[in-house]
Amino acid sequence: MTTAAPAPAGGPAPVRPGPPASAHAGFLRIREPLAAWKAVVLGLLPVLALLVLWMIVTTGAAEERVISPTILPSPGEVVASFPLLWFDRAVTRNLAVSFTRVVEGFALAVAVSFPLGVLMGAFTKVKAAFTPLTVFGAYLPIPTLVPLTLSLFGTAELQKVMFLALAFSIYLVPLFVAAVDAVDDTYLKTAYTLGATRGQAVSRVLLPISWPDIWQAMRLGFGVGWSYILLAEMVDVGRGIGGIIITSQRRGPREHIYLVLVIIVAVAFLTDKLWAAVGRFLFPHRAGKR
Amino acid sequence: MEEQPKVGPTGLGKLVLFVFVLACLGGAAYYFRGLIAPSGRDSTGPVNMDEFKKVEAPDTKGITTVSEYKYVPGEKLPPVKGVSAYKWGADKVVNFPINVWIGWLPIVAANGGFSPNPDSIFAKKYGFKVNLKLIDDPVVARDAFAAGESHVLWGTLDMMVLFAPDLMKDSRSAPRIFQQVDWSSGGDGIVVRGAIGSVADLKGKTIVYAQNSPSQYFINNLLLNAGVQPSAVKHKFTATAFEAAAAFVADKSIDACVSWAPDIYNIPDKVKGTRVLTTTAEANKLIADVWAARADFAKDHPEVVKGLVAGIFDGMDRLQDATQREKAYAWMAEGYGMQADEVKAMAQDAHSTNFSENKAFFLNANDPANFERTWKNVTFVYRELGLIDTPVRFDEVMDFSVLQELDKAGGFAHQKDESRASFTPTSYKKISAESPILTQTIRINFYPNSANVYEPQHDESGKPVANTLYDPSVAATLEKVARLVGQYERAVVAVVGHTDSSMKGKGTRFEDVKALSNDRAEAVKQALVKKYNFDPNKFTVEGKGWDEPANADDPMNQALNRRVEVSVYPPESK
Repeated sequence: MTTAAPAPAGGPAPVRPGPPASAHAGFLRIREPLAAWKAVVLGLLPVLALLVLWMIVTTGAAEERVISPTILPSPGEVVASFPLLWFDRAVTRNLAVSFTRVVEGFALAVAVSFPLGVLMGAFTKVKAAFTPLTVFGAYLPIPTLVPLTLSLFGTAELQKVMFLALAFSIYLVPLFVAAVDAVDDTYLKTAYTLGATRGQAVSRVLLPISWPDIWQAMRLGFGVGWSYILLAEMVDVGRGIGGIIITSQRRGPREHIYLVLVIIVAVAFLTDKLWAAVGRFLFPHRAGKR
Repeated sequence: MEEQPKVGPTGLGKLVLFVFVLACLGGAAYYFRGLIAPSGRDSTGPVNMDEFKKVEAPDTKGITTVSEYKYVPGEKLPPVKGVSAYKWGADKVVNFPINVWIGWLPIVAANGGFSPNPDSIFAKKYGFKVNLKLIDDPVVARDAFAAGESHVLWGTLDMMVLFAPDLMKDSRSAPRIFQQVDWSSGGDGIVVRGAIGSVADLKGKTIVYAQNSPSQYFINNLLLNAGVQPSAVKHKFTATAFEAAAAFVADKSIDACVSWAPDIYNIPDKVKGTRVLTTTAEANKLIADVWAARADFAKDHPEVVKGLVAGIFDGMDRLQDATQREKAYAWMAEGYGMQADEVKAMAQDAHSTNFSENKAFFLNANDPANFERTWKNVTFVYRELGLIDTPVRFDEVMDFSVLQELDKAGGFAHQKDESRASFTPTSYKKISAESPILTQTIRINFYPNSANVYEPQHDESGKPVANTLYDPSVAATLEKVARLVGQYERAVVAVVGHTDSSMKGKGTRFEDVKALSNDRAEAVKQALVKKYNFDPNKFTVEGKGWDEPANADDPMNQALNRRVEVSVYPPESK
């Protein structure tokens, strides 16, 4: 995501011997300040290019296209199938169902992985004890866990939330550990000089300083849920956005697969913006830096 | 800056305004909730059970056992437009994906393994090679077919009904079905928990199965035939049959699952209180495995398609030999990455359909379980469930031209249909000791005191009127029974007649009423045997008179009481 905030307007270039002139000349300049609207336009260009490419490969009669409509329908066909998705397949309700599952799974994952991550980041022995597990988790092909969660948690809502929580935790724990790890030793030493206890060092130094990074980790992690929604909703298909994709793959229309993808991207984009906005509100000192 | 006098709302005012705007938005959202978040189409609304039998009967006039289609397939199949879009090189290799299914044994035998090889029947006899690829996921197989990566699509006929509308958007990837490979014969089944004795007991229960798969067709077809509204059952969907079995085992609140062998046989052994309700061992003409070729490929290379069909029949011949059969098992095990024993254990899951069985399936318009009837039945079930909007006609995908050519050449005349189940006469008392798999209630309006299903109408003086029928829908009713009985080719069928009780206590002897109900049941049996060429010993007939009202709570509903019930029982020797 581009969180382009224009750097504070600088004065004339410093007199000190700086980088060579080429770094400040031409079209691509290193770390040049960029107006917000330019950032938006630059961000839109590849999207438009993709759309144009999509249109080019899908124009004409079915048999004359570069890519057959049985594989990739044209943008127009995708848009035209929207009412069917909206009304007949109740995409908003299914989206709400999936969103709730993601939020619940995420909350559960944070409830477990946040304390674990902080403890691992703070105490080397805890870290040593749990690192093998997290490494194992990182390499685990998550889909293989579907039958396992099925036999542990049944086929109803619980299984989906638990599966997502599992996937989230595997992603979040290392990020939380890294966030706490990143706190500079200087802060800890200063705190000890001032007579801080072990508990105070964690609660008053490590946590407050790593909050913004932890927030950032949660922001990144939240998106991961959407990539697992299909797997989570493989059982008891019928409600949820993943179910719509699975169903459309088997009996069409193809258009809905792409529509749902676009909708997921849009939702992910909006929620990410929300995370960023809340982050700026909570940590204004960080917002200035970025 | 100078202090400006404050203009505008106070803090409280802002809050009130904010709440007001929020309330307006909320109210609007609630008012337009039908538009913002519609509840979706109720896909399992009530099915019109009368419609169920009105899937048109193809030939009501000709009461003969074999009636071949007279049309030319090419005239009904959608024409292929544009430039062909499949991969084809000088090495002439047909990419033929298959799933893990014993029904592919003949083609594995013919090909001498999975990889294209010069020693295969296809290479030696027909001049091309076949590359069998394991693509178990039907969606991936479909996508490879649509993209022209593979020339062939594997599937059951019910899967084809779902795939066809989308694939036909491009006339080049329209599926052309030339051959039936097998009938599922024990490979699919339904496992139930607790006291579920027949399909009708599933009412109000929870069932789990893979959506858009043969399982969905299997169970919903049974429900409809047993007169149970699909919406009267709670359906839980999974993506694969394997998960359905796992869900059934894990979740005790699920009463039944539809899945595949070996799970359906393993579950009753491992999980207490579960049993197999029915499998395709009994419903052995319900799920047809076929393959389809891309329309553009079939058009450009008719000789290759013909070679594929013939080669698979050759493979069936080859499997008659025990050593060849062992070889084929080994090849198949290698291709699937399984043990030969595991492959052999699947041998009972399917019944390979040879040349004459294919002829019956594709060409005989009167066969009760032929392509047309299966396709229409699937289409009906799926349309009622709201799964398909614009169904494809059977003759837009079925191409029997190759079978006709092979028939003319006569090369496979030796492959006779030896699979027809044989029945020994049995009594109603004996078979009704067990509970039926399902009971289908049909209503044929008999003329008072008559047992003739084709009884004409009578004029006021009581004289029959020529060329009329007292019950004009009798052909459609019989068609409905024939389709069920045809699907359950191996099962025993009881035809039980009932009369109304209008003359009860008015001097009519019960023996006479019982005889009439028996005659009516016998008439239904004879009509079925005559038109669809069933084995008469498949049926037992019983007359119950007025003893069993249709609805115990409403015993005087005489229109309901005049009925014939057709019950499907598991074959006695399993």
